[in-house]
Amino acid sequence: MLISYEDLTLGYEFPPTSNELSPSLISKYLKAVDSMGDDFVPPLAIAARAMTAMTGVLSLPPGTIHASQDFEFCKLVPIGATVSCQAKVVRKLARGSMRMLVLELNIFDQSKERVQSGKATIILPA
Amino acid sequence: MLAEICQGETLPPVVKHITQERINLYAEASGDFNPIHVDESFAAQTPLGGTIAHGMLILAYVSEMMAQAFGENWASNGKLSVRFKMPARPGDTVTATGKIDSIKEEDGISYVGCRLECHNQKDEVIVTGEAVVKLPYSQGEICGSR
Repeated sequence: MLISYEDLTLGYEFPPTSNELSPSLISKYLKAVDSMGDDFVPPLAIAARAMTAMTGVLSLPPGTIHASQDFEFCKLVPIGATVSCQAKVVRKLARGSMRMLVLELNIFDQSKERVQSGKATIILPA
Repeated sequence: MLAEICQGETLPPVVKHITQERINLYAEASGDFNPIHVDESFAAQTPLGGTIAHGMLILAYVSEMMAQAFGENWASNGKLSVRFKMPARPGDTVTATGKIDSIKEEDGISYVGCRLECHNQKDEVIVTGEAVVKLPYSQGEICGSR
């Protein structure tokens, strides 16, 4: 079931998601970002997949854009690993026609160690 | 990795050309098919007037620059904080730049702070931000004596 902006409350926790960072997925990512790879998953590839999985349950209007982003990378993740993502709403703001969401993400590997965390600010169109 | 990590040093920039094909590839790789990125007729009707690159695609260039400068320390001990100032569009050439603006040492660990910026071919700023990388060396080891 998709969740709308109106339904989100401060502290809302998204259903946890899981992502397998398979060699084919990382190869596709590296081609898209025009970059060479190594034995580890680029940290932004992990973040991108986690954010997409999270926003996949959100019914965001077309035209929603990213305003700012914070990350902390804690651990190298080998290609082929599976990571899980937890996310929650830490700020929700509506001012006039502008609507904004701040989402906090924490990503863990299979041994439950945190591999990265982040905070995304997104702006929804009027 | 950088041969020397000293305050004031400029990081080797990363330069990439943005095309709609690249944006579409990124949409497939990330799973983010927001029409503002991939649907040209939809995007033309919005205040942005056309498709824009994913912010996370531009950040991938910043991250590539940081990984080239600091190796695996970036992905295991890096912090990034950025603001998106304006979108990158198909046809743009994006340059990610960085400069070491602080090095703080604590218990033999160096915290290297960098000021970051991405700009387009018109020198318009797309992204600004800061990064900190934790390195397992003292400041003396990383600047001037490695």
